[in-house]
Amino acid sequence: MNGNSDRRGSSRRNFARYLIAGTLALAVGGLATGRAAAAKDLHVLNWQGYGTDEAWATKLFEERTGCKVVHDYFNSEEEMLTKLRTNPGTYDVVLINSSYTQGAAKEGLIQAIDTSKITNWKDLAPKLRDSPYLNTNGKTYGLSWVWGVTSMAYNTDDIKTKPDSIQALWDPAYAGKVGWRDDPVESVAFGAIATGQDPNNPADLDKVKQKLLALKPQLKTFWSSEDEWNKHLQGGDFEIATYWSGSAARSKKAFHLPVEFVVPKEGAIGWFDGLSIAANAPNLDCATKFLDFMVSPEFYVKWDTTVGAPASANDAANAQLPADAFNRVVMGQPGMQERLFYMAPLTDEQRKQFTELWETVKTDLGK
Amino acid sequence: MSRLWPLALKTYLGLTLAFLYLPIAVMILMAFNESPLYKLPVVWDTIWFVKLAGNDRLLTASAHSIVLALANTGVATALGTMAAFAFARYQFRGKTLLQILLFPPITIPWLIIGTSMLVLFFWVGIGRGLHSLLLGHVALSIPYVVVVVGARLKTFGPVYEEAAATLGATPWQAFWRISAPLMAPGVIAAALFAFAVSFDQFVISYFLAPPGWTTLPVEIYSAIRKGFTPEINAISTIIILVSMGLMLIFARLYRFGGER
Amino acid sequence: MAATTLSGSGSAASRRRGAVIGLTAPAYIWLALTVLLPLSAMLYFSFLTVAPIGARVAEWTLGNYLDYFRKGFYLTLTGRSLMLGLWVTGLCLLLGFPAALALAKYVRGRWREALFLLVVLPFWSNALVRTFSWTMVLRTDGMVDDILQAVFPGLPHLDIMFTFTAVVIGLVHSFLPYMILTCYISLQAIDDSLLEAARSLGAAGPTVFRRILLPLSLPGILAGTILIFVPVIGSFMEPRILGGRGGFMLGNVIEDQFTVVFNWPMGAALSFILLAIVLLILAACYPLLRRNLQGLA
Repeated sequence: MNGNSDRRGSSRRNFARYLIAGTLALAVGGLATGRAAAAKDLHVLNWQGYGTDEAWATKLFEERTGCKVVHDYFNSEEEMLTKLRTNPGTYDVVLINSSYTQGAAKEGLIQAIDTSKITNWKDLAPKLRDSPYLNTNGKTYGLSWVWGVTSMAYNTDDIKTKPDSIQALWDPAYAGKVGWRDDPVESVAFGAIATGQDPNNPADLDKVKQKLLALKPQLKTFWSSEDEWNKHLQGGDFEIATYWSGSAARSKKAFHLPVEFVVPKEGAIGWFDGLSIAANAPNLDCATKFLDFMVSPEFYVKWDTTVGAPASANDAANAQLPADAFNRVVMGQPGMQERLFYMAPLTDEQRKQFTELWETVKTDLGK
Repeated sequence: MSRLWPLALKTYLGLTLAFLYLPIAVMILMAFNESPLYKLPVVWDTIWFVKLAGNDRLLTASAHSIVLALANTGVATALGTMAAFAFARYQFRGKTLLQILLFPPITIPWLIIGTSMLVLFFWVGIGRGLHSLLLGHVALSIPYVVVVVGARLKTFGPVYEEAAATLGATPWQAFWRISAPLMAPGVIAAALFAFAVSFDQFVISYFLAPPGWTTLPVEIYSAIRKGFTPEINAISTIIILVSMGLMLIFARLYRFGGER
Repeated sequence: MAATTLSGSGSAASRRRGAVIGLTAPAYIWLALTVLLPLSAMLYFSFLTVAPIGARVAEWTLGNYLDYFRKGFYLTLTGRSLMLGLWVTGLCLLLGFPAALALAKYVRGRWREALFLLVVLPFWSNALVRTFSWTMVLRTDGMVDDILQAVFPGLPHLDIMFTFTAVVIGLVHSFLPYMILTCYISLQAIDDSLLEAARSLGAAGPTVFRRILLPLSLPGILAGTILIFVPVIGSFMEPRILGGRGGFMLGNVIEDQFTVVFNWPMGAALSFILLAIVLLILAACYPLLRRNLQGLA
């Protein structure tokens, strides 16, 4: 026992020494890397895999402008706001959904964009570009980038006739085969459309709640990411589910799933994302150039054809897509724009109200 | 009957291990499956490993995770073991309060802790960075170390140290030659926990890492939105198999059983 | 023999006091600055109407805490989470203790160390990937279902995916190593000669178990219980992915207050209520445990 513990004792002392040395080295190394950020870095805050971090795009941009693109990601809009609030002067470009842009501008988190420097400005669809959601007091706080529809999609192998009504989600024929996105605002919006109300301002929230509770026999599971949706559909967990248009295009094209997207006659939710520049952005010049590049047809066409993307806010870019592209065929359908309810900005109070409603519904659905 | 008992228990242990490794086996299997959506039946393909070799982002993130976890393990195990020793061998006022203070880090969801750290560090001026990451990871690991080492110390009591004292050993000698070897399995288990806590820690890294510097869990959780591919299965497979190899070598060379 | 006390004067007492401070200070200063201080800020937020970020003006309120009792669904969710905690902890104990016993007392030689390390290894795989793997195993037409169908062709299809059961399975799998390890380190410290002596005095297996093994391994069992029960009641990822409709737990609601809506005060209040519940349960069990742990230092 003595001999062993001696050896173990000294080897443990050595181990301790190496550990302390290693930790100090890490700390020093860490501080060193911390300061190595280059002057021409462009910090972008976005969802992962959502266009701005396409390797070929950032490489091209760096070659042309000398600005190196560094990404930081978020997993929800609230987390994006948290990061903006607690990291002033860190980010340059931020992706903000149009229903959040006004709030961010009012809070002073983003700055006005110098639209004279955006060469593609004239080609952007006026309805989105000039939307009051992105513009306040004559200043532009968000550059309309992409847009899409939140509606439903189904498995064409299982469902043979295309449903045309949103009530399909409540159809007993699909009991236990429906998937639903776990999101309060979206859920309230669907409930409102299904009860003939305005999704942005439902007059009778109780009716919406009852409609959502009626999903109990229908729902198999919730989903909250594109990847989950694909896996669920493929695994046969659901046959029809709420979904986003751009993602449906990707599921069909990139993953070869038998998916068809439906915009029902009662209407669907429209959304659009804008690129904004953070207040106190360290690299304003690079940021503005990046925004211009992102809305250019050059970037968009390659993005949509190689990976799959939501529809572009740039009419010229859309026009350059191949004739059979999802974004031209489905999104360009006549009469579809009229059936869309665009997501309006909500106050924190409204969000709290919708969140609580949805949480109550979810608790009941689980009983 | 009593002769069957050891065999029965050992068989049970084998079954338990099989249960523990079932999803691991599935995860490894999917790393070799051609389908990006885990479609069955398995079509054998090494494409994800090939793609992984070119995926600098994921590889760098994994390296970061490992280094951070090692640093975390060293610091947390040292700090936690010392505190556990104090709790087990001494009675003092405020001991209960200190023990209760171990609960917030494991009870309160990491998201709250992460957000509050982010806010406080921002106000105080520490900000984000590797130092903040390490601060956060170690803080979350300490309670695990204290509880695990404490359990070990509780079981064998101070009798051995007291015996050593009556035989003339100084407290320092008693510690290194008696307590430390007896504590060893507890300390090693605690170190393994600390490593696991850090290696799979998403929230703290997500909030406190410097921009552009990521860890493996952050990459994985961020990727599920749109970009999840089985390259993640591939890197996980490599990590598991390498760790398994290292562990088996370690077990062969170094006895840490404590006695026997 | 009780542990050394710090009462009394003299250089021995002050040396002991110095030892205690020296041993606990580093860990606790670290904890205080990194976790406890930020959490106090959160505690402060929980009594406000809104988080005082940006130009927001916040007012004092007890509303967040009162809402917990006023709005029925929070209590339902708490009940659900506690139930989950009990099931997972109970199963981990039942399944983990025998495995730890086997490892500590019946496996000899180098194998013991190797298996001990192998038990830990699943920890190091990413929890999200692991959970997705479970969906593949448990879903209808998944792996288990396929095997069952192959062996018993007439059997109805497996339908446990997206249920409470699936969540329990996923969490038991994630947390079982904690119990096995903590029980192992306790069991392994029990001297074999103690057990032999008991047997040679005529004690049968069950008696040895009840009167020697179980009491002496109680610290390990307790450690495992705490390390499993507490995180499980706040868990949200496995419930979300494996639980389907029934996967909504207290942890999810807390998360929502930070990721879906800007309501930090509510999230903070719910977290501290959760902490209070845990401490209450601990306080309730303390008298029972104290008696059992009395004999051990």
